Amino acid sequence: MKSTSGLRADVQALSAIFWKGLKHHLRYPGEFAIYLSLPFLFTFLILGMGNAVGGSNAASFFAARTGTTNIVIYEILGSAVWMVSWVVIEDVGTAIRDEQIKGTLEQNFLAPVRRFTLLVGLSLTDVVITSVIFLIVVGVAVAVVLPSSFLTIIPAFLMLLIGLIPLFGIGFLFAGFVVRFKEPYIFTQIVNLIFATLTGTYYPVAFLPYWVQLISDALPQTYVIADMRRIMLANQTLVNLYGSLFVLLSLALAYPIIGYAVFRRVERKAGVTGEFSKY
Amino acid sequence: MNPVEVNQLSKTFETREGKLFRKVPKSVVAVEGINFNVPEGEIFGLLGPNGAGKTTTIKMLCTLITPTSGDAFINGFSIAKDQQKVRENLGVMLTGERTLYWKLTGDENLEYFAALYHLDSTYAKGRILDLLKLVSLDDRQDTLVENYSTGMRIRLSFAKALLNDAKVLLFDEPTASLDPQSSHLIRDMIRDLKRQGHAIILTTHNMEEADLLSDRVAIIDHGKIEALASPSDLKQKVKSSDIIEIEARNLDERTVGAMQSLGEVSKVAVTSSPHPGETELLRVHVEKGKEVLPRILEFLVRKQVTITRVSFIEPTLEDVFIAETGRSLRD
Repeated sequence: MKSTSGLRADVQALSAIFWKGLKHHLRYPGEFAIYLSLPFLFTFLILGMGNAVGGSNAASFFAARTGTTNIVIYEILGSAVWMVSWVVIEDVGTAIRDEQIKGTLEQNFLAPVRRFTLLVGLSLTDVVITSVIFLIVVGVAVAVVLPSSFLTIIPAFLMLLIGLIPLFGIGFLFAGFVVRFKEPYIFTQIVNLIFATLTGTYYPVAFLPYWVQLISDALPQTYVIADMRRIMLANQTLVNLYGSLFVLLSLALAYPIIGYAVFRRVERKAGVTGEFSKY
Repeated sequence: MNPVEVNQLSKTFETREGKLFRKVPKSVVAVEGINFNVPEGEIFGLLGPNGAGKTTTIKMLCTLITPTSGDAFINGFSIAKDQQKVRENLGVMLTGERTLYWKLTGDENLEYFAALYHLDSTYAKGRILDLLKLVSLDDRQDTLVENYSTGMRIRLSFAKALLNDAKVLLFDEPTASLDPQSSHLIRDMIRDLKRQGHAIILTTHNMEEADLLSDRVAIIDHGKIEALASPSDLKQKVKSSDIIEIEARNLDERTVGAMQSLGEVSKVAVTSSPHPGETELLRVHVEKGKEVLPRILEFLVRKQVTITRVSFIEPTLEDVFIAETGRSLRD
């Protein structure tokens, strides 16, 4: 038998996991309609609520609190990042459980592929999907509302790519919790709603109580959303944002390590309890 | 060293049972100190009823479940210490048709798993085509698995187990839920693999299959190996008894239990229901069957059991199981 080893074997396995995931997503195309429409729908919802509360002064109140009058771009950036976060947490967090329910998880674990490669492979599919969601949603909004700043999508997108790394770490963490406690969607949906509340998706984090802001500071989406707004609405560059970039890179190092460690611990425990065969 | 060596392998599951807030810890012994070896070119059957510990044994051997104690070696690699190496040296087919991705085609499924087994991509293409031909799916390789029949899915799972051409193969109930034609095909392929020198472990609760395929059979019940020998040697053990098969109606557990107390009857068990809800098959092990038969029939008639057929039969592995455990494989 001709086999590969080392880095080549890992890359080949990663590629297979990536394509398998992508084919699955493309063969269930309905979900893309939700991913693409929800950021716009939530933005309209916020605009409607803002008008209802603030009346004709809504835009000036908003500008006084956020520093921009461009409510649409402000909200669409929050919505798009939230959607990206939603997809990552739901996909990575529940992927293992989904495979368990389908009956394919054990088949993956029977193979000599490393667990880390499996988790990263699952995440790679989401990098493509979330990138497409972000670029379409934000691209359409900026083209219509702020065409002069269209090119700022590039640094904003780079910001997103960096933010995805700690987000995947959080996804690994939830993958472990979901294997242990089952009921994946309750877990991920609650977490996603909490993230929307804490990370400044629709309003500045500064409005939150101080102790809540401490939690917000530990979440990568907080930095991604805030920095994207600075880039697209306040003409900041990535160089100007080195402080929060440094924090984001630190989180990008910490979360995957913590997430993978928790996942491995749960996985070893599942081997003892026979959890992987339980539905 | 044999390709498979199992030493005092045990598994106890710690669970919590009871109502919410009143759960109490409970230990369930699934496998208890089993030992066996499988040399090259042998089919080793693990025969036992559902819940006997067959699948737990297989899952320990393929590293999905961690043993509580003991160890096993696959091509010399410990399932406790060298899990990655064990996986490289094993081909496994677990029971059920949901072990594949239904939204992928047959070819895509095998390509995916070939990559997880680190097969060289060029080699994998040829290997996949060969395997699809072997299981007669080469003309359906581009069809989504969701459009396959159960038999086709099981055959594809079988092909998946052969992808890495492992010396040691584990098949967990490979023909469960298959039609006779597909079962026949799978059994022929297992025999071919044996001829090629693979060491094969086969779990089944189908005694005919164990008898037909296995060079040696371990009869497993409540996690323990009750008997281990070739099918003919095992059957020889019960040759000293006569075995009467009785097809009857209105047979209840109390009557079967009461039959045990007849002095002449050594073992009795209900084995199957040819017409569920109507008739059942009773296996009775006795000394000097022809002398005892009238008394057994008289006893059953007195208990208002309707007898539809009586025959003396040659012992099967089911009779070995009954003799060893006092129960049928169905229980």
